[in-house]
Amino acid sequence: MMPVERPVGRPVGAAALLVLAGLFITSLFVGVGEVSLRDAFTDPDALYLIAASRLPRTLAAVLTGAGLAIAGLVMQTLARNRFVEPTTAGTGQSAALGILLVTLLMPSASIATKTLVASVTALAGTSLFLSIAHRLPPTQPFLVPLFGLVYGGVVGAAVTFVAWHADLLQFVEIWTSGEFSGVLRGRYELLWVSAAMLAATWIFADRFTLMSLGRDVSVGLGLDYARMMQIGLVIISVVTALTVVIVGLIPFVGLVVPNMVSRLMGDNMRSAIPWVAGSGAALVLVCDIIGRLLRFPYEIPVGTVLGVVGAAAFLWLLFRRPAHA
Amino acid sequence: MFMIRLIAILAACVLPAAAFAEAVDISTARGVVALQAKPRRVAVFDMAALDTLDLLGVKAAGVPDRVYLPELKKAAAGAEVVGTLFEPDLEALSALGPDLIILGGRSSPKLQQTARVAPTIDMSIDGQDLIKDAEVRLEGYGRLFGREQAAREAQQTFIAAVAAAREAAKGKGRALILMTNGPKISAFGVGSRFGWLHSTLGIEPAVNPMSPGIHGEAVSFEFVRKADPDWLIVVDRALAIGAGDSQARATLDNELVRSTKAWKQGRVIYLPAADLYIAGGGIQAMTRVLAAITRGFSATP
Repeated sequence: MMPVERPVGRPVGAAALLVLAGLFITSLFVGVGEVSLRDAFTDPDALYLIAASRLPRTLAAVLTGAGLAIAGLVMQTLARNRFVEPTTAGTGQSAALGILLVTLLMPSASIATKTLVASVTALAGTSLFLSIAHRLPPTQPFLVPLFGLVYGGVVGAAVTFVAWHADLLQFVEIWTSGEFSGVLRGRYELLWVSAAMLAATWIFADRFTLMSLGRDVSVGLGLDYARMMQIGLVIISVVTALTVVIVGLIPFVGLVVPNMVSRLMGDNMRSAIPWVAGSGAALVLVCDIIGRLLRFPYEIPVGTVLGVVGAAAFLWLLFRRPAHA
Repeated sequence: MFMIRLIAILAACVLPAAAFAEAVDISTARGVVALQAKPRRVAVFDMAALDTLDLLGVKAAGVPDRVYLPELKKAAAGAEVVGTLFEPDLEALSALGPDLIILGGRSSPKLQQTARVAPTIDMSIDGQDLIKDAEVRLEGYGRLFGREQAAREAQQTFIAAVAAAREAAKGKGRALILMTNGPKISAFGVGSRFGWLHSTLGIEPAVNPMSPGIHGEAVSFEFVRKADPDWLIVVDRALAIGAGDSQARATLDNELVRSTKAWKQGRVIYLPAADLYIAGGGIQAMTRVLAAITRGFSATP
């Protein structure tokens, strides 16, 4: 069998892993409390601060970044279009609608319940998006992202409308701007479910790659298309809902990261997954570190930083000539 | 020429009539404004104004659809609804035909529009010198509505409440003002909307200098731990805007905040959020806030 992907050497992979590890360690040492490299392992107070605040925050950023990037990758595969991602095409907004409904109907619901309801509404919202997107003519690739933007806008408007009626508009703001400043030991652990979704993507990677060939081809090759569609939808919805509930909406990661990776590495999902997950984690970590440092000791929400960084990266994607077109 | 003459004649007829209704100079957020005294029908979009007018026994003719504070329900009862806290409804306002419209804070950007319906004043209070502004407003409303006596009495009581709070907080240590917003927090310093707690009441700030942003600064729980204040003064924004139950305590109750001196000794003062955040500057609302401060600082050793 011919190797599909362009070979990326081991040294490149090792270097990328080193960069990620470097960011991870940097993140452990950036914050308001004093933790220096020298006494990190001897001073009990520094150790405590790392365990209680820095490590949870760093892990949350890594899990969020990797999860969102993978959710973007899966969504792009299912929609067979490179320019959709959960936060612009209605998944994030549907999840927000779910949280809003829980807040209205069961104000004292736990975070887990909120996540569950948000996942269900995100699932419904994304299913509707994909079922309509698949009816759009494949010869017009920009129709899908355009439809996605409109669809996301409509669901977002529904959120605003319900919130406005219930006088919860300012409450909606709280989780539409994503940030990690509230993350502590005991307040982010649900995000590990994202890691499970990542593992699921890895397991089904080859089948997702087949799906990107289209329904007829993949069914012809013996794939249970409908089942794979369901699995993909669950992955996208659960990751997005978790992120919205725990840290808020974080834009661009799901769009920019998979596109950059596919520019550099091609479209085999299995070989792309580690790169997409790693780059997503690195991107969110960098933005969170910038947000912590720019106005030290105050914070800038990671969503705001990503809006700027992500927009720049997206422009780069648009204007840079395709590597193999 | 004829037109100008006509206008001059008309003005000559109208002006003496206007002079009969006595004019008063009232200081507003946009400088001193001359107004006709004793307006009969007043539309009030500023909750601090509604609160102070209620104290003076002045009934508003028009109010927003929601007043947020249960204490203000009585003051708003029977008045026409003429928009929301943020957005005056110009049609409803025209139908009401008020003599005066009082805007403030959230509604103040709409001054241009409402001024076409009736004389409008912007009574916003930014919070840096809240106590003084509250007194100036009280005195102004007293003169405007011919309730000078009531205003003077209210001012005496209010000054006493301020003095009691200042006395209670004196020498009790450094405090950090936090606003919780769902799971997130911001800190407020001397130049912020809650800056008067430091500047007027003389409560020593735990972090100095703090960035002077009026809306506070987003901070992490590590920031609170490092500041290690003797007192925490907490405003729950979600509670103030009516988004469910108070979750300020749940948000702050984590291991980093628990390690501060303030939390260990139970020195956490939860301010009546809506009084401060929605009606900040209203005399009755501020009296409740000051009472909470006095209680908080006196209760614990």
